[in-house]
Amino acid sequence: MAIKKDLLDILVCPKCKGVLELTDSADGLICHACMLNYPIIDEIPVMLADEAVSLKKDADKSDSE
Amino acid sequence: MKTAITGTAGFIGSHLAEKVLSEGHEVIGIDCFTDYYPKDYKLNNLTNVLKNKNFSLLQTDIVNCDLTSVFKKVDIIWHLAAQAGVRASWGDQFRLYSDYNILGTQRVLEAARVCGVSRLVYASSSSVYGDVNEFPMRETTYPKPVSPYGVSKLAGEHLCMLYATNYNLPTISLRYFTVYGPRQRPDMAFHKFIRAVLRSETPVLFGNGDQTRDFTYIDDIVDATWKAGILADAVPGIYNIGGGSRISMNDVIDLMQDIMDQPIHPVRSDRQKGDVRHTAADISAAAATLGYAPKTVLKDGLSQEVEWLKSIANGGIYGY
Repeated sequence: MAIKKDLLDILVCPKCKGVLELTDSADGLICHACMLNYPIIDEIPVMLADEAVSLKKDADKSDSE
Repeated sequence: MKTAITGTAGFIGSHLAEKVLSEGHEVIGIDCFTDYYPKDYKLNNLTNVLKNKNFSLLQTDIVNCDLTSVFKKVDIIWHLAAQAGVRASWGDQFRLYSDYNILGTQRVLEAARVCGVSRLVYASSSSVYGDVNEFPMRETTYPKPVSPYGVSKLAGEHLCMLYATNYNLPTISLRYFTVYGPRQRPDMAFHKFIRAVLRSETPVLFGNGDQTRDFTYIDDIVDATWKAGILADAVPGIYNIGGGSRISMNDVIDLMQDIMDQPIHPVRSDRQKGDVRHTAADISAAAATLGYAPKTVLKDGLSQEVEWLKSIANGGIYGY
């Protein structure tokens, strides 16, 4: 069972209230403004800023490559 | 109808979600899985509802989440999320109680107002009364909570009333009296007692056992909570939801011995700060407005909880 579209439609970033984008592998929701990935664990979106994974390291890594 | 239940993974929230789904409504469940007790216990509570296509679960906390996006098309909110526990509410821990029970409730109310929600039901507690002199406790009795937890739940009630009077947001606060039954929280007395007996350990009884409680079975609580949300003519306000009888802890232990068919000799410990001496609910207002009539007597309800704890005794999550 994938995460429901209805649920995706009502979710926003807890930090900036901006839109979220589902990752290609459907295991996270990305806020591009905050550079955070909110994990989806067992099809439950975890909308807690403390639990989000920062994407800044990945971006820095890409920049330096 | 589209509904939302905060604290949906908890003891009462999970039972309520099952009821709302069984009536054919959609439920958005919200829970932040606080570490008051393990997340696995709560996920286990949701085993049935997670299979239902009308149920969506969102792990977030009501203080920081943008609830206006979540409640956008919601008709009814059952606001059950709270930091639980009377004894744990003293000291530094009070921060959690003020955050989740007061600020969190205000956030839920504000989002409900903005979204034009048609009804909000708030899970309050008999602990708002404190040690009163008159029994049964009536909704008109002046509340004097004796624990920070009770203070935080009373503040939540007041916020509900403020939003009702200032913004015409229909709110109903239900003062639950000591809820028990399957999925009861592991820190609650019945659960601890039964678990100790099943493990051949000695349970601890706080106080001399003369303290009395109006114990209320989970199915009766769910019935009242469901009706408070769904009945079109339910008058906004505050209602006691009790089990209909009052019994001392000593008598509960006697009953438990009969049900479990073994002697129970608890260790006596001092009464804890924040514990009230007695509770007893006048449920006439809930009877008149919600048609509430508790159906489960203590012996039957306690047997159900014993059976539940036996059934999970080998399941692993409770550490047996």
